[in-house]
Amino acid sequence: MVPGDEATLMAGATASQADIELLRARLGLDRPLVKQYAARLVGLARGDFGYSSTFRGNPLPHVLARLPATLLLMGAAIALTVALGLPAGVLAAVRQNRWPDYLLSLLVVGLLAIPNFWLGLMLIGALSVDRGWLPSFGFTGWASLVMPTLALAARLVALVARMTRGVMLEELAKDYVRTARAKGLGTPAVVGHHVLRNALIPTVTVIGLQTGYLLGGSVVVERLFAWPGVGDLMINAVGARDYTLVQAITILFVSGFLLINLMVDVLYVLINPRLRHA
Amino acid sequence: MNRRTALTLLSTAAASPFTLGSPLRALAQATAARTLTYGQSGAVTALDPAQGSFATYPAGYEVAYCLYDRLVDFDENLKFVPQLAESWDVAPDLKSIRFRLRKNVRFHDGTAFNAQAVKFNVERLIDKARNPTNRPLWDPVADADVVDEHTVAIRTKAPYSQLLNSLAHGSGSMVSPAAVEKHGDKGIAQNPVGAGPYRLEAFTPGQEVVLRAFDGYWGGKPATDRLVFKYILEASTRIAALRTGSVDVIDSVPVQLVAGLRKEANVEVVVRPSLRPMGLAINLSRPPYDDPRVRRALNHAIPVETIAERVFFGFAKASDAPLAFDTQGYQKQRPYEYSVAKAKALLVEAGFKPGAGGQLEREGKPLKMTLLASEGLFPGDVNIAEIAQRAFQQIGIDVTISKIERGSYWDALRQERAALAFDLAVFGFNPSNASGLYHLESLFKSNADDAARPTVWNMGRYRNPKVDELLAQANSNPDPAKQLAAMGEAQRIVWEDAPYVWLHVNQNVTAFRKGIKGVELWPIVFTIARRARVEA
Repeated sequence: MVPGDEATLMAGATASQADIELLRARLGLDRPLVKQYAARLVGLARGDFGYSSTFRGNPLPHVLARLPATLLLMGAAIALTVALGLPAGVLAAVRQNRWPDYLLSLLVVGLLAIPNFWLGLMLIGALSVDRGWLPSFGFTGWASLVMPTLALAARLVALVARMTRGVMLEELAKDYVRTARAKGLGTPAVVGHHVLRNALIPTVTVIGLQTGYLLGGSVVVERLFAWPGVGDLMINAVGARDYTLVQAITILFVSGFLLINLMVDVLYVLINPRLRHA
Repeated sequence: MNRRTALTLLSTAAASPFTLGSPLRALAQATAARTLTYGQSGAVTALDPAQGSFATYPAGYEVAYCLYDRLVDFDENLKFVPQLAESWDVAPDLKSIRFRLRKNVRFHDGTAFNAQAVKFNVERLIDKARNPTNRPLWDPVADADVVDEHTVAIRTKAPYSQLLNSLAHGSGSMVSPAAVEKHGDKGIAQNPVGAGPYRLEAFTPGQEVVLRAFDGYWGGKPATDRLVFKYILEASTRIAALRTGSVDVIDSVPVQLVAGLRKEANVEVVVRPSLRPMGLAINLSRPPYDDPRVRRALNHAIPVETIAERVFFGFAKASDAPLAFDTQGYQKQRPYEYSVAKAKALLVEAGFKPGAGGQLEREGKPLKMTLLASEGLFPGDVNIAEIAQRAFQQIGIDVTISKIERGSYWDALRQERAALAFDLAVFGFNPSNASGLYHLESLFKSNADDAARPTVWNMGRYRNPKVDELLAQANSNPDPAKQLAAMGEAQRIVWEDAPYVWLHVNQNVTAFRKGIKGVELWPIVFTIARRARVEA
């Protein structure tokens, strides 16, 4: 059981006990737990998430209205991860123990160690307050997307780069690579046609699993940038003891996580033709 | 292109000033010269004075004070000034007030504001089913009588000196009856229609409220064309937004960041004490805390200045009365001097002697205390409890802190007497209608039944018939001077009875861009943009 009472918080500090009881009755919080639970389940099946004290009604439309902003941020972060992390890992593996590799290792350690909220604060300070290049908060245009995406994706870029490098090195040492080279193929062809496809599988897995991190990170990053997304809503809901809203968002987050991992499974098949016949 | 040229190109691109940003910003400022943007720490999700009021506090109220007019307004110092009522007469028995209403006033939707509209609003507010919150303000009200088109009399069930406070409180906002008819009791929260200087232009619950100057406002069109309220929860983000000029006003600046903000050349900071005196409520229902000497000893033992300096960086002032400095009816008392020696002497007087390990005991029983602290409900609540713990340990009391999650704190405080799990508890009451009498009644009026759960906030079971009598006088004596005198005397007695360890009053901090005029910070936490204008 979660401590705290929604009705007490909603009625406020000046409310009397009688007012709280009245509110409790109106919210249905005075019914037996089993009944409350059953009613909640039936409601869920019909898309009615119950009474949210924040929105004074079913929170679902409001949560859905916030969803595009969060999806946009997550999508941008994943895109940035693929665009930066993957080539960086490949480059480091191909140039193993030379300066691109060392530089990458340094960056990876740095980016993994930096917490996203701190990076976000530094970005706001440098790019927004000092230079005025980017808007510091909210969503007012595509420029608004830059800093939240960087703050959210930094860790993931580092993780994917390191992962890709490791897998690439492993694959590069395999027999089929020697065969390919023996055929007379140059490095770009070997890496592009043969190694990368094999190396992609673990990388895609990591991105899928890290969606959980992205969702958690979006709560922090959205708060920092006052991003009009679901994560920002989540913090408010917890503060206001709006359990209905917390539940709605949690269910949405879980569905999102499952959906992305389903997509990852589909991607496996696309990347690796062998799985189609398995 | 070889590697070196690529790197050179990259570095010059990074170093060259990014010129696109600045002209865009200048353009935005020029076209938005008469728009004022306020970055609020709270989210506005509903804008109906009834139905649970303007969620959340204070953000929704701050919008409401621009969107709605009330019969009576507060000025910056919480004195009553006429708004939709031009004048009023208080009945000698304090059971009704007759208001003469301003003529030719229209709501934003064109509906005429008149005595019927007032009656409609008052009846909506006193109906528990339609308005479940702010009950202490509206329960004493009986009804409103239409005298003529522009005169209305509001009656109370018993003599009630705080009726003007209720009407000036945000929940006294006058809503267009036609709009309630049109949108329904629930729908009005998203489609508010008032008679204030600004009307609603756009509302995204939990994100943004845009108000536009109302051409037909009785007081003339306001100086600012648009008021934009943006929700920015994170304090450092609010400050960054102010520094970049994307908002003009911000509220709730954390005290540890004020010094940095004051160094900014184009930022102005306003500081004002709140109406909420913080303290440690004492459970008087069991020994030794039923003894006033012990309670006074605790008051002498606590270093309030240290709390103000260490926890709030000086942005808190030591209390010198049960009420905060700006509350109506506040009367200064003689502060308890911080003195460990005095505290110890008082405890000895109460029969305590040092026992094993310097801990005090009386009749073989050691002096122990459970101190209840909320986590994150009041500013610095846990720190306050820890400083109090050390201070009380210095005079020989064994203190255990019991931290309670903020969602269940109110419940932990208001228990049946037998179930009370604390000796002292961190608490502060904010009289949102600015009335000192409301504050004193909520905290110090005797409970009807001390064994049951307290109906308001006298959880320590304070009981003094003399105080009850004075509070009743303050509520029913038609002479305002006599009301004040009774409240002053009640404060003196309560201060000496010490049912609290009196601590401090926090200060609120609001900041705005230089060139913005007329931003008001009210002691009831509100940052009011109603009369604000952009001058540069």
